[in-house]
Amino acid sequence: MRVDPSYVTNLSAALDQTQATEQQLTSELSSGVGVTSLDQNPIAAGKNVLLLNSMQQDDSFTQSSTMVQGQLQVADSALGSVVSQVTQAISIATGANNGTLNPAQWQAISNQLSGIRDEVASLANTSYQGQYIFGGSRTSTAPFTTSSGSPATTTYNGDETVNSLQTPNGQTIQLNLPGDQIFATSGANSVFAALNNLVADYAGGASVPTAVQDTQSLNTALNYVSQQRVTLDNSLTRLTAASDAVTNEKMQLTTAQTNLMQADLPQISTQLSLAETQQTALENVIAQLGSGSLFDKLT
Amino acid sequence: MGTINAAFGAIASALDADQSALSIVANNVANANTTGYTREIPNWRENPPVEVNGVLYGTGVTGTGPTSVRDNVLEERLSQQQQVASASGTRLSALDTLQALFPPDSGSSSSTAGDIGSDITNFFDSFSSLEANPADNALRQQVLSSGSLLASDISNAAASMTTQRSSLDQEASGITGQVNALTSAIAQLNQEIESATSTPDAGTLQDQREQDISQLSQLIGVNQVTTENSGLSITTTAGQVLVLGGKATPLTTGIQNGVTHFFVGATDVTSQFTSGGGQIGGYLAARDQDIPDALSALDQLAYGISTAVNAQNNSGTDLKGIEGTGTNSAHVAGAGTSPLYLFNEPMQVAGSALSMRVTMADPSQIAAAGYGNGTGDDSNAIAMANLANQPLTLPVATTSFSLVQNLSSATPIIPPGNTVTGTVNLYDSLGNTHALTVTYSNLGAGQWNYSMVLADRLTANTSFANQVSYTFGAGETVDPGTNFTITGATASGGTATVSVAGLTAGEAIGDASTGYVKALDDALATAGVTGVTVTNSGGVLTIAGATATGGSLIANPTASASANGTLQFNPSGNLTTPSTDVADITFSGLSAGAATLNLDWQLYGVGGASNITQTAAISAQRGESQNGSVLQGQIPIDAYASFVSQLGSTVSETQTENTAQTASVSQLQTQVNTLSGVNLNDEAASLQQFERSYQAASEVFTILNTVIASALNLGVQTAVS
Repeated sequence: MRVDPSYVTNLSAALDQTQATEQQLTSELSSGVGVTSLDQNPIAAGKNVLLLNSMQQDDSFTQSSTMVQGQLQVADSALGSVVSQVTQAISIATGANNGTLNPAQWQAISNQLSGIRDEVASLANTSYQGQYIFGGSRTSTAPFTTSSGSPATTTYNGDETVNSLQTPNGQTIQLNLPGDQIFATSGANSVFAALNNLVADYAGGASVPTAVQDTQSLNTALNYVSQQRVTLDNSLTRLTAASDAVTNEKMQLTTAQTNLMQADLPQISTQLSLAETQQTALENVIAQLGSGSLFDKLT
Repeated sequence: MGTINAAFGAIASALDADQSALSIVANNVANANTTGYTREIPNWRENPPVEVNGVLYGTGVTGTGPTSVRDNVLEERLSQQQQVASASGTRLSALDTLQALFPPDSGSSSSTAGDIGSDITNFFDSFSSLEANPADNALRQQVLSSGSLLASDISNAAASMTTQRSSLDQEASGITGQVNALTSAIAQLNQEIESATSTPDAGTLQDQREQDISQLSQLIGVNQVTTENSGLSITTTAGQVLVLGGKATPLTTGIQNGVTHFFVGATDVTSQFTSGGGQIGGYLAARDQDIPDALSALDQLAYGISTAVNAQNNSGTDLKGIEGTGTNSAHVAGAGTSPLYLFNEPMQVAGSALSMRVTMADPSQIAAAGYGNGTGDDSNAIAMANLANQPLTLPVATTSFSLVQNLSSATPIIPPGNTVTGTVNLYDSLGNTHALTVTYSNLGAGQWNYSMVLADRLTANTSFANQVSYTFGAGETVDPGTNFTITGATASGGTATVSVAGLTAGEAIGDASTGYVKALDDALATAGVTGVTVTNSGGVLTIAGATATGGSLIANPTASASANGTLQFNPSGNLTTPSTDVADITFSGLSAGAATLNLDWQLYGVGGASNITQTAAISAQRGESQNGSVLQGQIPIDAYASFVSQLGSTVSETQTENTAQTASVSQLQTQVNTLSGVNLNDEAASLQQFERSYQAASEVFTILNTVIASALNLGVQTAVS
């Protein structure tokens, strides 16, 4: 039977192939990356894009969430101060309504309440990073201005826009409350109307029943502010929960992505060992076969 | 009886033959490492015997020279396999370069095309961040910078692909010279082989020819046909003759649509080469298929993202309170005077990737707020962030046209019962132009019927020699406006050109006894053209045997019902019915893969005035082109993920193919080497054998010499020895 006389050339091609395999495996071992080009694992390359997308969305939400939590905390803190101020105003007014104070003392009460009203107005105009947080979408204009007069009137300059933040899984979390929804510039729930009326009551020597009625109105408005504050508290709670969930999801996704793309070290080590054995065997075979031909035996 | 002298003659011939055989062995050993050398074996022939006194005596042997040990079938099989392996190897190399542009996403948005996925995510995430603080300048700047990175990565990838395509084109073109040199050499060798020998094997010359064919097979796909006297014809895989005996037909090139096309004579063989094998097959497959596919996917991605983001931003309010010009989801139009576009607005899908860039320089122009809201609103930012989860929308082939006609007040007046036509040029999804004809029939009392016909010019397929075909769609008919001609040989030895004008409108393609096929046959017969056959196979009209063809055919694409309707004018001449523009006219069955054409007939102009009664210039607006739309309906990140998976799969498949084909080539090469290669062990054995024969013959010669000497000396020892 005839054989291919150039089998040594074929063997050297096999040796080249073995060495190329060793090079690839060594590269994967040193980099720790199992998929270095798309053709190595096209499905994994596609899944990798989607996993990274989810991970980056989670990262982005975590950053936004941190930023928004600051704003919500500032808003909550401002409303907390408003509640304190209004509670103090109710306390002062209740004390003044016992019918034993003289006009000068009423005027002093009026001045005290006026100061509280200004403080509440200042809190209602709280800004965060240069943006007013109780003006709806009109964040560059102070939401509340109080005109002089008796009773004074407080005007809302913002709008009714409510902003929200979407979580990666599509939930919507409310980020703000329009100022007039909290403080209401008129009506039964209006903190400013009640405060302005009380200031006018005590400054103008109105009757005690009127002052009592206005104090009750302030009490009603306070309850309303507290109710509205719950909305923001809920947002903060939901934001924290969403942020925690996203952090957990990111960890799981990272594990999945690492498993998908990283090199399988035990398997690669085994393959490398096999390739080395094959290389040694090929070298020995080539060395043996290269020893000569029948011509060596001719004399 | 035989004589001593006869024995001398016989043994001397053996010595000659042995020397000849030793010479052949020496030549084999000398060429043991010569590429393409086919080992030779000596041939012996017994000399004719002589008859002496009725008895036949042998007269020795004659060496008849060497014969190359080759298997032509095996060598041709090897050549064929080399072609496919070479094609897949070249294509794989191009695909490797292409996929190197898109390494697996590292997860960081950086300036590499492989991170386009991260770029897309970061870009849409930047709108999510903007939700938290829509007025924050740093967040707005982040939108522009992440958009710029996305645009530049897509654009750079497209530029690299375009450059690679151009480079592949040059490499493919450069092969032409090598092919022509080889086909000329083969033709020359054909001549030498035919004139040098009448035996089935031409030895070294044939080795050279096999070497040239092997090299040619690395370059292009060819078929071999062996002819008499060891001649050889070489054709392309589809039958175009490259070498016929001692004559080679050169391969030429020409530029069509910006890329190199290849011709044998006047026939464009580019598509044959693409599927035919050899390096050129690999280059062309990558140039005309793989890279355009990848580029098209990127174009669609770029178009989908750019147009969606632009449209959304243009339907919001920016930080300065300026509104865009678009209409928002509540069908409210913006009060702006110029569009608020973030990316340059692409006009069509093709080229969108290459031209993608951020044109917005001022971050305050990002319209995070909705119409009517303050600048602190984030509703439009949310809408833009949500685009990440919206399917990509790619344009359908829609053309808006306003066909301006003067009907009721036309001069001269068209009386009831008469018709008038208007035409307008429209564009299909591939950008090809079509002439739309609208025929208006006056029914009287201000009422007109209209009927639209779209002429679809079919491009001739002339890939096959002496044959031309047109692919009609199912149910398509022939328009009388054809300018098609056929030139064919006449029975008298001359040629005649047949014009096929004057056919019946809407005529079916038909067959030998009806329709357009019969009309063509009749026209050819009238002109005396013989040897030309016209057939219709499944809507493909084929004219075979024509020595030259020219012109094109016009078919009528299938129209929707709304291509016909009624127009009603009031006594003042104003159009009253229909009261709005007609926007649901479609034409399908366009040629050469064009998508269904959607028409938007703008019957009314600015201010509600009817276009039909106006007499301004006829105008048409070019529609959007749409090619393939493989990403239609996918969200951006899924579109990119499927793009990389698809590209990876293509490379992987080609890799597998190439490995198998290369193994097959190796196996066939081993078989060829086994049969035709010089095996030194065999040669050593042959050398030993022929040396022994020579020694034996020498001994016989010596003994015969002694016998002769004894005879001459009559048994006495004398001077003769």
